[in-house]
Amino acid sequence: MAERGGAATGHPGELHFSRVFEAPRELVFACMTDPEDLARFWGPAGVSAPRDRITVDARPGGVFETVMVNDADGSEYPTRAVYDEVRAPELLVWTESHSGMRVRSEFVALGPQRTEVRIYQTYVPKAFLAPEAQAGFLSSLDRFAAYLGGLVAR
Amino acid sequence: MTTQTADPLDAAFAALADPTRRAIVSRLARGDATVTELAAPFAMSLPGISKHLKVLERSGLISRRRDAQFRPCHLEATALDGALDWITTNRRVWDERFDKLDVLLADLQPARKRPRRAGG
Repeated sequence: MAERGGAATGHPGELHFSRVFEAPRELVFACMTDPEDLARFWGPAGVSAPRDRITVDARPGGVFETVMVNDADGSEYPTRAVYDEVRAPELLVWTESHSGMRVRSEFVALGPQRTEVRIYQTYVPKAFLAPEAQAGFLSSLDRFAAYLGGLVAR
Repeated sequence: MTTQTADPLDAAFAALADPTRRAIVSRLARGDATVTELAAPFAMSLPGISKHLKVLERSGLISRRRDAQFRPCHLEATALDGALDWITTNRRVWDERFDKLDVLLADLQPARKRPRRAGG
């Protein structure tokens, strides 16, 4: 089901993730903005995101806060972000306060019961704002990862 | 989880954002080299190359021995690992989130589970 994107989008330092879900767009969007739902999937494998520590104020300037707790050792990863754009049920954009990382989530209806979620995660800090970084090579972090992988694997 | 702080990561990404420095890193992936050897493929002065090497050194991507006469440059592969880890960790986090979201969406739409199981 997963369609793993590697498409360069022209934004420097960008990672692209995409997944198609068998669900209506409104429902998928609701899951990404309702703390009850977020608590059930926001933490990756082995990590919880307790409901009572999720804050969603889904409007431009509103906060999006989560704390991910490692199930194994209890270590915590708090993340605070501020929404830049909110357009239900098609678009969410937020910027993480500590890292400056920008996350754009697009919800594309492929059918009444089928939705593609496209995540564009841009690593904003200095490195990717340099003109030479924007010149092409680093336009996709996926390509960059392949390049580094080739070097590291030696 | 992303445990690495942003600073060394910024330094590594910034250093690698330049095509000359990437070429130097690629060369060093094949083995240590002196400044003169590194400069050879480029139409660039030794001071010009030295400037790039200083950036790479500050970022932790390469090291230079203080004692040896020709001070060969050495690629610190673990610093590259850091940049690579950051990218792959982010990818994995979203993959695993979406796996869970898939399950949640199936839970939220009980009426839709049956026809799919029946092959509909």
